[in-house]
Amino acid sequence: MRRLLSSKAAAPWLFLGPAILFALVFVLLPVGFAAYISLTDWDSLSPPRWVGLGNYRYLLTTDPVFLRTLWQTLLFALGALILGVPLALGLAFAFSRSRHQAAWRVAYTLPMVTNIVAIGFIFTFVFRQTDGALNRLLALFGLPGPGWLTDPSLTLLSATLVFVWMELGRNMLLFAAGLTSIDESYYEAAKLDGAGTWQLFRFVTLPLLRPTILFVVLTGFISGMSYFTLMLVLFPGTQGGPGRAALTTGQYMYQMAFEDLRMGRASAVSYVLFALVFVATLVQVRLLRRGGLEQT
Amino acid sequence: MTGRGTGLLGACAGLAIIAGGAFAQEARTITVATHYSAEQMAPLLACFDAYEAEHPGVTVEHQETAYGDFLQTILTSRVGGTAPDILNVYSVWVPQLAGAGALEPPPAEIAEFIQSGYSPATIGAATVDGQLWGIPTELSIYALVYNKALLEQAGYAEPPRTWAELREIAEKITRTNDQGNIDVGGYAYGTTVAEGVHPFYAQMFAAGVPPFSEDGRSTNLTSPEAIRILDEQAALFRDGVTSNAIAVDNFASGAVAMQVSANWNKSGWQDAFGDQFESTVGVAPIPTDGPGGTMLYSFLWAVDSTSDVKEDAWDLLRYLSEPREAGLSCTGEAMQGMGAFAGGNADLAAMTEGADAFDRAYIEEVTSGRAVTQPNVWQASEVDRILRGYIDMAWSGSMTAEEALTAADAEIQAILAEQP
Repeated sequence: MRRLLSSKAAAPWLFLGPAILFALVFVLLPVGFAAYISLTDWDSLSPPRWVGLGNYRYLLTTDPVFLRTLWQTLLFALGALILGVPLALGLAFAFSRSRHQAAWRVAYTLPMVTNIVAIGFIFTFVFRQTDGALNRLLALFGLPGPGWLTDPSLTLLSATLVFVWMELGRNMLLFAAGLTSIDESYYEAAKLDGAGTWQLFRFVTLPLLRPTILFVVLTGFISGMSYFTLMLVLFPGTQGGPGRAALTTGQYMYQMAFEDLRMGRASAVSYVLFALVFVATLVQVRLLRRGGLEQT
Repeated sequence: MTGRGTGLLGACAGLAIIAGGAFAQEARTITVATHYSAEQMAPLLACFDAYEAEHPGVTVEHQETAYGDFLQTILTSRVGGTAPDILNVYSVWVPQLAGAGALEPPPAEIAEFIQSGYSPATIGAATVDGQLWGIPTELSIYALVYNKALLEQAGYAEPPRTWAELREIAEKITRTNDQGNIDVGGYAYGTTVAEGVHPFYAQMFAAGVPPFSEDGRSTNLTSPEAIRILDEQAALFRDGVTSNAIAVDNFASGAVAMQVSANWNKSGWQDAFGDQFESTVGVAPIPTDGPGGTMLYSFLWAVDSTSDVKEDAWDLLRYLSEPREAGLSCTGEAMQGMGAFAGGNADLAAMTEGADAFDRAYIEEVTSGRAVTQPNVWQASEVDRILRGYIDMAWSGSMTAEEALTAADAEIQAILAEQP
């Protein structure tokens, strides 16, 4: 036994043991259990009842809310990427060439370290329809004051904008790190060839920053697809705002599991969401890797 | 060893066994889980101390859990084998908890105590399919709450008695700002599921049509009365008398003239209006063209079926619920401190004696028999959430009242059909 433990073959397993054990208990076991539960009808009080693919069938063919939440979640995640990533990249690029870089970075990363409840409260005051700061500002110009948090056609947009603001600092930091890793000699060479600021950005920065962009887009998409904390704070006590207009799949799943005690159906939702995120991630990896850093 | 020595040793051993047995028998802990804060629980905590003093060896512990997390916490603790012995549960959770065998039915003497000391509507809140599951505690009753000052400014000395009157008054009171947004709303609804669904149920009861059949297996949501009620609600949004931006929370700031609300809001409004509370806040029956009525719901003391001190738990609950010399029961005293009502007739009578106009108006709804229990239907919170979703659709004009209620009815019927 002692010889076995001290052998070279056993050493990696010994070192990896704690991590493997951790992954087994806290990752594989719950994932496997959720897969089993998704095929049952279980209220967590009485024994699970096997229903096969019934939960998946219900979600995809009968439930009038589930597909709508998927669409809204997709809009939220993609909206946050479309608005947030170029903004963060642009700001990071601008600040990389400006004075007082550190001060700018601190200012833009403050939302990252601010409590989500505080953010929710602040934006509730900003977005309030009758006396919110934004609508009062619009009133100064004689413009109407929409119901940012009360009009079903605007609630998802409002939540997306706040999420973009929250994530801006994190994405900027990642882009700033990516920018500093680009060797200055590339820029010098391009300048010698007569490249202007836009050309430097388009033909030097963007291609060399692809790994960072890939990381930001992937993590942003995954986090957006499962996100609902902000909605809980912006639309407290509701089902994702009036008319469920900002109800995301994550929040719907939470309600199913912990309010309706439909653990089986909620587990099925988590697997559908996982499948969607997995496929979308594969697509993104293929698209963004093509012609990326590896080929430069 | 001599005979005397053996006898002495035997006696000591016997005493030790008896003492040990007695200790083992009497050292019992009863855990009570509620969503009340330590401040709200103060009268009950004092009663726990008194009970402990009267019952040596018994310890009563309070577990505070936020209302929003209460059900999840109970479930998790049951899975982990650490469920509290006594639970203070919302009546609509009872069908699922009881259906899963999580609750212990009260013993005969406790059932008798409840039947003889509580009103039928209150008992109904703790009953599912004819089976009683606990002792009603906190009663929440719905009525029309109005701002007397706003009504008087608009020329109305009395609250509305019909929905047409309510609409007329609300229209006169509503004021908008330069952007067309409502500054002062004639009428308001709330953003939460309960703030939309409970007033709707209350209006249905007032119209003489309960939202669900008596056996809880079908709904009356597509009845002409239900459709008319929702259509009239939607008309208030359509015509700018109310909006999602002016909600029941704004009542405290004097920006809402009327709303259908439960009595538990009282302490918040007292804080907001201070000395002006009595002269500002009025309570009246739900305006209707029907026979009149409203809805009440209750929390109840229940005992977990896995508790190993069930007998003690029921004994403690009876102790907490029985009227005392001072008038109110322990539970009643705690409820009064929160501005809420206890379920027992004796508590309600004691509360009526010193009640202000606000409380009297609500208690009258119970004692007159007008208040009907919120139906403890299968998956009640899910049913309410579905209904709220469709009520929102009707309010926003994306569905007619009939379309919304027909769609809600189809989904809810499917859920009700799941019950055993």
